[in-house]
Amino acid sequence: MSGPDPGGLVLDGVSAAYRGTPVLHEVDLTVDRGELLVVLGPSGAGKSTVLRVVAGLEPVTGGRVRIAGRDVTGSRPGRRNVSMVFQSYALFPHLSVAENIAFGLEVRDVPRRTARERARAAAESVGCAALLDRRPGQLSGGERQRVALARALVREPDVFLLDEPLSNLDLALRVEMRAELRALHDRLGATMVHVTHDQTEALVLADRIAVLRDGRVEQVGTPDEIWRTPATRFVARFVGSPAMNLLPADGPVRPRGDSPPGALVTDTGRLEIGFRPEAVTLDAADGAPATVDRVEVVGEDAYAYLTLAGGEPVVARVPAVRRPHRDDSVRVGVRWADTHVFHAATGLRYRP
Amino acid sequence: MSVRPDARSRRQLALMLTPYLVGLVGLVLLPALVTLGLAFTEYDLLRPPTWVGLDNLTALTDDPIFRVALVNSLVFALVAVPLRVLVALGLALLLHRRALGVGSARGAALLPTAVPEIAYGLLWLWLFNPLYGPINQLLRTGGENGLTVLGRTPPQWLTDPTDARAAIILMSLFTMGETFVVLLAARRSLPRDVYEMAALEDATGWDVFRRITLPLMAPVLALLAVRDVVASLHFTFVPAFVVTDGGPPPYSTTYLSLFVYQTGFEYLRYGYAAAATLVMILLTVAAVVVQWRLFRRYRGFYRL
Repeated sequence: MSGPDPGGLVLDGVSAAYRGTPVLHEVDLTVDRGELLVVLGPSGAGKSTVLRVVAGLEPVTGGRVRIAGRDVTGSRPGRRNVSMVFQSYALFPHLSVAENIAFGLEVRDVPRRTARERARAAAESVGCAALLDRRPGQLSGGERQRVALARALVREPDVFLLDEPLSNLDLALRVEMRAELRALHDRLGATMVHVTHDQTEALVLADRIAVLRDGRVEQVGTPDEIWRTPATRFVARFVGSPAMNLLPADGPVRPRGDSPPGALVTDTGRLEIGFRPEAVTLDAADGAPATVDRVEVVGEDAYAYLTLAGGEPVVARVPAVRRPHRDDSVRVGVRWADTHVFHAATGLRYRP
Repeated sequence: MSVRPDARSRRQLALMLTPYLVGLVGLVLLPALVTLGLAFTEYDLLRPPTWVGLDNLTALTDDPIFRVALVNSLVFALVAVPLRVLVALGLALLLHRRALGVGSARGAALLPTAVPEIAYGLLWLWLFNPLYGPINQLLRTGGENGLTVLGRTPPQWLTDPTDARAAIILMSLFTMGETFVVLLAARRSLPRDVYEMAALEDATGWDVFRRITLPLMAPVLALLAVRDVVASLHFTFVPAFVVTDGGPPPYSTTYLSLFVYQTGFEYLRYGYAAAATLVMILLTVAAVVVQWRLFRRYRGFYRL
């Protein structure tokens, strides 16, 4: 999986602007053939712009885009052989589901009967063959989603671009479609770029995740790498819910166990330690004293929102049966092995 | 889904509707009913009307001038209405994007509609002048002896029957400003992602127009066409009155509206004019009903 695969998608130093304002800054991304890359980031990070630049709907102001080994930087959208599923689905309201799916084939002069047969096959593969004669206005959100997927895959493109396709669905359906999407990807062996702001979706779905922030790639890695070794403070805080706790390294919480290599306050600047809520224990003998502000119980888990003596907030995830109560005094402990250390000034990861 | 208004808001509604209803009843409905009644009388505005039953209507069927006016109006509607909508659609599709000069171009497309009708008519009287008018000057460029490049005589706009009818249609094409504005708004309200989708599928401009733009705009186009058919009975009046005065002989540009005007106000046959008006209204209603049925299938398209 190392080195750019000529069969996939390569963004080489791509910059883009929207009405004169830079949106992407020299983005480098490589998606191998058959890989599912999730572009994750908060709104306004430029996630959709990445897709639109790949699709050719937005011009680049610098860099190159290569699809399946072809440089398509200046090519018009129709010549790139990519399919896109829009967040809004962008179904044609006046056409039936069958006509919607077959649209791309028919405008490419595929004979009508062949087009309809392939549309039916595509519809069957995403489970919407029963809807072929309906119009988009008669479909539920989940059904529209399937139709949009069928329309994307009927043409067998080099790259699938999915722009927050699950964001308009309710939670149960989202979870179901997420699994189906992954299964579809594995079955087709398709190269996919999936944009989302939902970190769970990214962790579940992706072969690799690219975390985007303010038009720059913060980190690219497998879901495991993103979770276990976040490259920046931003990635660490963005992935995980509730977000990772962050405290000054010379602050009130002194993690137990072997301390990491190097001094905690270096000459390169102050450091911060981060630890996820699930790494926190509330009954550490030598822990930092804290009081419980509120407790949220979510089934088996409970989230305790604490304030340290110095006023710093900390969130702990504990089993619901052993949850503390409001105004309880607790002692916050964490182990070095469960911490992440970042440079306070740059936000970059300090140790491996 | 409508909410039943309570007594208080109903009183307010009634209060606010009153001025409009008074105007509607006093200025439109009552005169219309009077006209309906007059259609069965003989009335010259001097002596009281006398009841003649269906005489006026039977007389209309034998009236060659009325028949000419009827045919003129139908031909005008059949030719001018589709052309007007097409011109407006073409301009709307050309000018819906933001680009340099688009604002001025939109203004220019609207301007002729804003010119007062009489002034607009007088303007065209000059434009149509067969010898000195700019239109024929233009048509003669490159030709010899006052002929066009193709060696044809330039149109005798206001003296040849066919050319005069074409002139009235030509005049009407430039007053499609309202239609243009509505189509511009309709085009701009179409979702952008649908067009991006089409671009990804490499659809040609013609495919996009035929398979997306036209069907999505069809409901609006249908509505505008219905409106234009109704309005076409009106906007033939001023051009025919000011520019051609119903001529050239034989009554080449006498449309129903002008026929009613001349019969009523010039020949003082008010009852007869009212009968012609009645026929005009019935025709309008028939046209609207037919079109509404033709376009019924376009309703409900906007449910996404």
